[in-house]
Amino acid sequence: MKTGKMIEELAAAVDAVRPLPPPSIRTAAWLALSLPFLALVVVVMSPRADMFARLMDTRFLVEQAAALLAGVAAAYAAFVSTIPGANRKLLLLPVFPFAVWLGTLGLGCLQSWLRSGPHGLALQPDWVCFPMIMLVGSLPAVAIVTMLRRGAPLSPCTTIALGGLAAAGLGNFGLRLFHPQDASIMVLVWQVGSVLVLATLAGCLGRQLFNWHLVKGNSSPMQR
Amino acid sequence: MSVVRNLIDDAGLAELMRAVQGGDSSAYRRLLADIVPRLRHLIKRRRPFLNSEDVEDLTQDVLLSLHAVIATYDPQRPFMPWLLAIMHNRMADAARRYVRRSSHEVQVAEVPVTFFDDPTNWTSEEHGDPEALRQAVAALPKAQREAVEMLKLRELSLKEASTQSGASIGALKVSAHRGMAALRKALARGQSR
Repeated sequence: MKTGKMIEELAAAVDAVRPLPPPSIRTAAWLALSLPFLALVVVVMSPRADMFARLMDTRFLVEQAAALLAGVAAAYAAFVSTIPGANRKLLLLPVFPFAVWLGTLGLGCLQSWLRSGPHGLALQPDWVCFPMIMLVGSLPAVAIVTMLRRGAPLSPCTTIALGGLAAAGLGNFGLRLFHPQDASIMVLVWQVGSVLVLATLAGCLGRQLFNWHLVKGNSSPMQR
Repeated sequence: MSVVRNLIDDAGLAELMRAVQGGDSSAYRRLLADIVPRLRHLIKRRRPFLNSEDVEDLTQDVLLSLHAVIATYDPQRPFMPWLLAIMHNRMADAARRYVRRSSHEVQVAEVPVTFFDDPTNWTSEEHGDPEALRQAVAALPKAQREAVEMLKLRELSLKEASTQSGASIGALKVSAHRGMAALRKALARGQSR
């Protein structure tokens, strides 16, 4: 097809569109959708018995805040990554809360080792973490992928991996409200490990879930 | 001076883009007509080894991508960085496609046969008689002959052939399929005589 003819067809096919809100607003909208679901799952699974004591525990609060912030920062970065011409340095935003999360857990592991020696770092199987994080993160994951597909698939693997990290981070935040597992090594291996595995799997599916054919924008006259 | 001109240009394009987001098709036509030469120039400069057809393909690819993500343009921000990000992305995708495709290709000076089995090589070796083919095509029923001529000989698209002939796309597909089968039979008969 000649470019001139294509211009005519595109011009004839253009519809009025509302510009996408800034990434911060879209992140807030995603949280507004995801947090009630997370609260619902926590209520259905019944909150842990020692919740009140945990809320007085600074380490628990820092770990939870870091997990939540890592999820929120990853969601923000994912939305930024779909805006052509946006500052790509913002994609590194989740690194800081994620480092705090890992640092706090690492410190917890060190304290356990100093207190109890190698027994303090004993690892038990805790397979429930992976499916539970998936359960809590399921709706946030579907919601963020749907929202991301309104943007531009400039780096689909990175975008979807960040979306996966956001959903899994939120999933882990919810998990610890009903799953009484606080040993740092266990949280580090089973929970952070699950979050990273889920984010990596999501990244691997990036091009299948998000490509130029799947963008929910103006439909091309050539696709009609 | 050129910086000032670029800023003025960008302000004009951003203004047009805001109108496009409002659904203004004439603004869209002007915007696309304005950016196409710039895209061609930039693509040629960055990929000097591409021929003009490839440059045109890439330019059209950028236009289609731009069209799909009009909503991602923030009216408060400059237009050109937004457009260039899309262009760079499509150029990188095209390069990846090229590498992927060429990694599966084997360069040879001449392809002697299409497949090893003899019957698969009949077109180039044994049925080289254009007169027999012309007669076989002429002997086809009208609908099949028209479908074969339009789709196989003139290489029209189904849509174009449908517009020209007035037949539906489904009917054209069936006629072309039957016509090709009849041609194969007729040519095979002619060869066995």
